[in-house]
Amino acid sequence: MLRFTTAFIATFALAPMAFAATSYPLKLTSCGHEVTIEKAPDSVVSVGQSTTEILYMLGLADKVKGTALWINPVLPEFAEVDKTVERLADNAPSFESVVAKKPELVVTAYEWMIGPQGAVGTREMFDDAGIASWIMPTECVGKDNTQSMDGARTKLFDTALLYQGITELAEIFDVSERGEKLVADLRSREESAVRKAKDLNLPEDVSGVFWYSSADIEIDPYVAGLNGVPGWMLSKLGVKNVVTSEEEWPTVGWETIATARPTFIVAAEMNRRRFPADDIAVKREFLTTDPVAKEMEAVRQDRILTIEANAMDPSVRAIFALGKLSNALSGFCLSK
Amino acid sequence: MRQGAAVHGLGWLFWLAPAVLAAALLFGTAVGETRIPLATVFDVLATKTGFLDRAIDPIELSVIWHYRMSRAVVAACGGASLALSGLILQALLRNPLAEPYLLGISAGASTGAVAVTVAGFGAGLLSMSAGAFAGAITAFVLVALLARAAGGGTGMRGAAVIILAGIAGSQMFNALTALIIAQSASAEQARGIMFWLLGNLSGVRWPDIWLVLPMALVGLGITLWHVRALDAFAFGAESAAALGIDVRRTQVVLIGTATLVTAIMVSVAGAIGFVGLVVPHAMRILVGARHSRLVPATALAGAVFLVVSDVVSRIALPGQVLPIGVVTALVGAPAFAFIMVRGRQR
Repeated sequence: MLRFTTAFIATFALAPMAFAATSYPLKLTSCGHEVTIEKAPDSVVSVGQSTTEILYMLGLADKVKGTALWINPVLPEFAEVDKTVERLADNAPSFESVVAKKPELVVTAYEWMIGPQGAVGTREMFDDAGIASWIMPTECVGKDNTQSMDGARTKLFDTALLYQGITELAEIFDVSERGEKLVADLRSREESAVRKAKDLNLPEDVSGVFWYSSADIEIDPYVAGLNGVPGWMLSKLGVKNVVTSEEEWPTVGWETIATARPTFIVAAEMNRRRFPADDIAVKREFLTTDPVAKEMEAVRQDRILTIEANAMDPSVRAIFALGKLSNALSGFCLSK
Repeated sequence: MRQGAAVHGLGWLFWLAPAVLAAALLFGTAVGETRIPLATVFDVLATKTGFLDRAIDPIELSVIWHYRMSRAVVAACGGASLALSGLILQALLRNPLAEPYLLGISAGASTGAVAVTVAGFGAGLLSMSAGAFAGAITAFVLVALLARAAGGGTGMRGAAVIILAGIAGSQMFNALTALIIAQSASAEQARGIMFWLLGNLSGVRWPDIWLVLPMALVGLGITLWHVRALDAFAFGAESAAALGIDVRRTQVVLIGTATLVTAIMVSVAGAIGFVGLVVPHAMRILVGARHSRLVPATALAGAVFLVVSDVVSRIALPGQVLPIGVVTALVGAPAFAFIMVRGRQR
């Protein structure tokens, strides 16, 4: 799937640094917190699969001293590299396990991991330990994490924030050129995916819903809110989200979902097995056997799509998933 | 005069109860997250009961029949069960603060639920409900063993020992729950569990009814069978024994019944609070302390109260469903305050 990245790393790793070098100390504001980077970090701990994969894409795997919070297997082209990096925890690592790696920097994709109510720790705790902390801008720009754990997105997710995050990380590590190349590459992939989506020329009444999981199979499911990554995908496809909440992952009843009559359902696939509904087979079984769900046109016509759960969170995978979604939708013969 | 009032109260309940319950069930079926015309609701009910054969939109038909109807019936059964449990425990333990979760049932259910979902106990094969039921029963058995080991007999000290054992058990299981949650990773998960722990009827379907309805009816039957004993306990276990009641047997049967119906309800819909504590008190104020009236009145009021609370939980915030425990307290507290003040004025 992502052969481009491997080729890309091979190219830039040998390329001379033509881009402006980062001047240290580098001062930046990350999710409202002042961060000073004294020099290009030699060691970093990454809490979140999306930040870990971006670091790998930037060719910084040798600087990564620990990873945590995995949802799915690492992107296949990094399978070998990832084996050489210590996994502190599959889920949230403890504060001490992070500090014990003595990293110069800790990066995360989630404010509920490192933030005011961080499960790993607060940013002040890392400041006190002399470790700089950085959070993906996708996690706080246009997003309010104060009211609920998963947060609410007040503005539609934009890949510009993802690119901003990649650029910032590249600057922190003094590899801006790699960052620019990666962003340029992702941008062109995004453009081609968006073009494909537009070319589908879907009718106006097409609507969709993204089902992440459910705490118990029959209770109200966690679905994608209006403005998260799935909302962004739908907006690019010109498709309406049947969910109207701004929460990142609201629980919405099947009654509401079914009566909104979505044209298709996108179900998340993940390795996690906490709730029975994490399993895509269980999701499918529910959809085809529940008395209400099975009556939905999307289910009757078998318009149930599957994408990786972490493509529904802000990450480079979202861009790849948009292409996949366009391809799948083109097979449904929905065009005007 | 008093006896006459009692008979009058019973007759009133006898004739009105089915009508009130039917109205509540209809209300619960007609009102939901989405707006479906009342005519469609009647069409569905008539079609499903064989009085009509009309083409109805399959989604609306399924929503009304499979989601709302089953949910309303389970809410009614659950409300009745929880209210009766509270009534039994308040009477037997002679403690106005007694409620269905006093004996560690909700604490145990929480531990069981988080053990399954957070700690991964059962590797995704056990449902949260099964975990909750197992946890509830385990907790109760431990509390019962502790109470037995601590002794105290059947009198006032005995009641105090049962309550204290319940508190100890609840605290221990709450600590276990906190321990498991503290080790958990995902906010989504913790949120899912908290949402469920506050009570959630969204997962209810017809098969749940075949579990909850017989339990509620058996629970009601057993309680009605023991109304005399419950009356006698009002004057203490010693007086009940003096009146020829087998105190130990009554305690075992009634507390066992209260535990089982509560554990089943918790496993189906989470720990819905307030119903079991307040409905029996409200009914005591309204119909008096005689259990021949109090038991049916409490069951009916619990049923209607939970059906109405569930409807409110679905429509209070558009596009979002509130945990029903929040609604039972928000709706129930002012209602109870009103009944208390009126009761005093009478």
